[in-house]
Amino acid sequence: MYWKIVRNDMANSKLITGMTMLFVAVAALLVTLSAVLIVHLTSAIDTLMKQAETSHFLQMHAGEIDQVRLTEFAEQNKYVDEYQMNEFLNVEGTKINIAGTTLAHSVQDNGFSTQSEKFDYLLDLDGHVIEVANGDIYVPVSYWKDGIADLGDTVIVQDQTFTIAGFLRDSQMNSMLASSKRFLVSEQDYAAIQEAGTVEYLIEFRLKNLADLKNFEEAYTSAGLEANGPTITYKLFQMLNAISDGLMIAVILLISVLVVAIAFMCIRFTLLTKIEEDTREIGVMKAIGLRVADIQKMYLAKYGVIAVIGCMLGFACSFFLRDILLENIRLFMGETDKVSLIWLFTGLGLLLVFIVIMGYVQSVLKQFRKLSATQALRFGTMQGKGQHAKLLNLSANKRLPINLFLGIKDVLSRKTLYATMLAVLVLATFIIIVPQNLHNTIAAKSFITYMGIGNSDIRIDIPQGKQNEQQVSAVMDRLEHDTAIKNYTVLTTKKFTTIAEDGTAQNLKIELGDHTIFPLEYAHGEAPVAPNEVALSVLNAEELQKKVGDSLAVVINGQKKNLRISGIYSDITNGGKTAKAAFSDHSTDSMWSVVYSTMADPSLVADKRAEYAKTFSFAKVSGIDDYIYQTFGTTIHAIEKAARAALVIALLLCVLVTLLFMNMLIAKDQAPIAIMKALGFTNVDIATQYAARSIFVLLLAISMGTLLANTLGEYLTSTVIASFGAASFDFMINPLAAYVFCPLALTSVVLLATLFGTSRAGQVKIIEHIKE
Amino acid sequence: MNIVSGEQIAKTFQVGKEQHPVLLDVSVAINQGEFISIMGPSGCGKSTLLYALSGMDSIDQGQVIFDGMDLTTLSDKELADLRRTKMGFVFQQPTFLKSLNILDNILLPAMRDGRKNVRALTERALQIMNKMGIADLAKRDITQVSGGQLQRAGICRALISNPQVIFGDEPTGALNSTSAQEIMDLLASINSEGTTVMLVTHDPKIAARTERILFMSDGAIVNELRLPRFTGADLDDRMVKVVSTMQKIGI
Repeated sequence: MYWKIVRNDMANSKLITGMTMLFVAVAALLVTLSAVLIVHLTSAIDTLMKQAETSHFLQMHAGEIDQVRLTEFAEQNKYVDEYQMNEFLNVEGTKINIAGTTLAHSVQDNGFSTQSEKFDYLLDLDGHVIEVANGDIYVPVSYWKDGIADLGDTVIVQDQTFTIAGFLRDSQMNSMLASSKRFLVSEQDYAAIQEAGTVEYLIEFRLKNLADLKNFEEAYTSAGLEANGPTITYKLFQMLNAISDGLMIAVILLISVLVVAIAFMCIRFTLLTKIEEDTREIGVMKAIGLRVADIQKMYLAKYGVIAVIGCMLGFACSFFLRDILLENIRLFMGETDKVSLIWLFTGLGLLLVFIVIMGYVQSVLKQFRKLSATQALRFGTMQGKGQHAKLLNLSANKRLPINLFLGIKDVLSRKTLYATMLAVLVLATFIIIVPQNLHNTIAAKSFITYMGIGNSDIRIDIPQGKQNEQQVSAVMDRLEHDTAIKNYTVLTTKKFTTIAEDGTAQNLKIELGDHTIFPLEYAHGEAPVAPNEVALSVLNAEELQKKVGDSLAVVINGQKKNLRISGIYSDITNGGKTAKAAFSDHSTDSMWSVVYSTMADPSLVADKRAEYAKTFSFAKVSGIDDYIYQTFGTTIHAIEKAARAALVIALLLCVLVTLLFMNMLIAKDQAPIAIMKALGFTNVDIATQYAARSIFVLLLAISMGTLLANTLGEYLTSTVIASFGAASFDFMINPLAAYVFCPLALTSVVLLATLFGTSRAGQVKIIEHIKE
Repeated sequence: MNIVSGEQIAKTFQVGKEQHPVLLDVSVAINQGEFISIMGPSGCGKSTLLYALSGMDSIDQGQVIFDGMDLTTLSDKELADLRRTKMGFVFQQPTFLKSLNILDNILLPAMRDGRKNVRALTERALQIMNKMGIADLAKRDITQVSGGQLQRAGICRALISNPQVIFGDEPTGALNSTSAQEIMDLLASINSEGTTVMLVTHDPKIAARTERILFMSDGAIVNELRLPRFTGADLDDRMVKVVSTMQKIGI
């Protein structure tokens, strides 16, 4: 008999059963995909870094190099397992021509290398160490992805012509966030193009034990070895490789949690409605001595079937989607060797979805136990609290049109019922707004100020070298007399030594200049202004264990000076370890300089950029827009895709849930609808009342969802972003999208779904529900 | 003058594949200000006739004229407007919205059009409630009053728009006999002010309070009884007439 009840239940509610199954399937699909992506990404990064034998410690250096001293240091240091020094021939983008176009617009430091001897290998797309023939060249895989280079294309550097024999994965510089890109040529060819650029050195170490990295870094610094360039460690390489796809996975996980929540709501609503409908029957069964536990088991079995089918469907669908989502990871990081781990995690994910659903059904079914037989028989319902919301009275209502009033009143009277719909719409608003705000924030020009880069129009990087000072003055002179330039500033990086309390010395690169013209976002404190102030990047502040207000001993012009820490900021440039100060110094040579400028008319930026690039051939001139696009492009693109997908998914969910909810509501509300019709309310009146309910719930949901998105959402997002190096973070909200477009889109789909879903309301036959 | 009339009304219910005729060419005319009841056994079609005459249910054949309008030609919207403005309904079972209190339930049909003079409407509702003896229940939930009180509230609701006709489908069916007679007193007093009242009942004691009784059997009106205005002392005489008519026609 129980089976009969459940079978009838399924047959009578094909739509809702199907919907519940669909949501379970989507939840299972997303959980499966997340599992696959997480395992694939982490293990592929792991594999790539193992195959390539990534350096544990990389010191980039330009200028004179004392190889003997370095080799001696490496041999004597107890932490070092292997040491090597690679050359990186930095060539200006204008001098590299790929298939007819130069890399003049590239903000990357493009350069040429030969294959490493001992570790830090450049790999081909099959994960093998490349052996390159004379005349051949291997190009970073990102240029293939961007469509700049293709197999067999010609690359011309100076007068030398190369043929692209393949593409390379560079475990250290793959990510667009890493600012250098290595092209691989043979040793003979390398020697032939040596004149085309300037040589930088990659001083690389592998340690016996990675855990000793910090000790090794200290030893390297205190030995006073070559350090004219950024220092990058294994951890940062890992992070750079993980960012873009990591963000995408985070968004998918967020959506899957929400879909599970929606599946819950469907289940809760159907079960509660069902229990209410069946109350009398269940009461009879109880009264004649049948065990309610058995009835519970049958419902549990029903949802067990739904959950299993849903999970299997979701799992099957994940096979169609995983290749698309894995494309990027596969290209940059390669295949995973942890296939069994993927299956394990997928299995665990599906099991989790199943268990969570069954646990939830069980908890809802507890209501059966509370039901008393007499109650069920006498009233045919479970005795609830008073349904009447005291707040709104028709007799005191002068403003609201009656249908609007009745709609709102109904929502307030049956809060628990509408809570389901409210929660879904709040979640939908949340998943629409958060990724959108995130995308907006990262795509905004000012986002780079969270990353250690001033917000300007044109950025001119003047490289280290003997002529640095003359070049800087040439640029300044030009900018000073260029009427199109609104303002500019020169920031020069120099190397200083800090003295810790215990007397140990450490190198600190400090960027000197006026930091108030193109300010950064400071996580704590503010920009240095007085000569005795210094600001530290988050990584440096952590390493030096300094807070705002602390003092830092720095050797300037041979004298130890105590500088006050004025602020701490996030930075991803130059390995993340930077400092800024405003004092002037002539005691040491500049390492490099950056000139930031803004233009009076921003529309002329592109022309001006090209003009400067031509004039200052020694410098790298980039528009900040290009810089953002090329550095964060992949990430921005991934988030934009996720935001769009979230919008579409959320709107679809809203349509489905509203349709479903209205359908169930009408089925439940037959009697009150009949009463209204008998009293002379027209079909239009009734449809208006339902629309009023939907819109009222929706408006509440949009307000709550927006509030949540801007508080909890911002908090969650900033936690994610913080793990990538930006310590503080505020949402950049596009008011048009967040407060106009999103509510408008939601309102239209919900309204349409309501009207469609309640079109049956008018067909209620008065007589059937009024006549005894 | 006729306020409601039906010409050769026929209606058939379909149950599965079987046809069940419930009204067979019924013709009836009701004058303005009449106090009329329809009697008959269960399933004779009396409620169906009532709902046909009020336009609440459609008919298969024939014509229903209400206040000069042919109900069979009106749209759903026009019928709804008519129900709201010119008719009042009292049902056997309490048919109220659970989300509204007693006063709001009574005001409901009038508020559809009369939002602007809510104060006057509320005053009117309280007056009617006072007359029906339930003025102190205005703010109560519908679950907090007795069946008799709820039925009085139903009558108040039927009266709120000052209708021309009040239709009652077994309005005392769920009440004990004392409450039932009290309700009949109220309906009689409403009728004495000029409102037409038309009831369906299977209780001779209720039918005996009205002035014209239509007897139905198997979908047709088979007899009719006219009685003088009820004085308060002639209930037994009236009962005898009603019951003997029933026996004569075998219901």
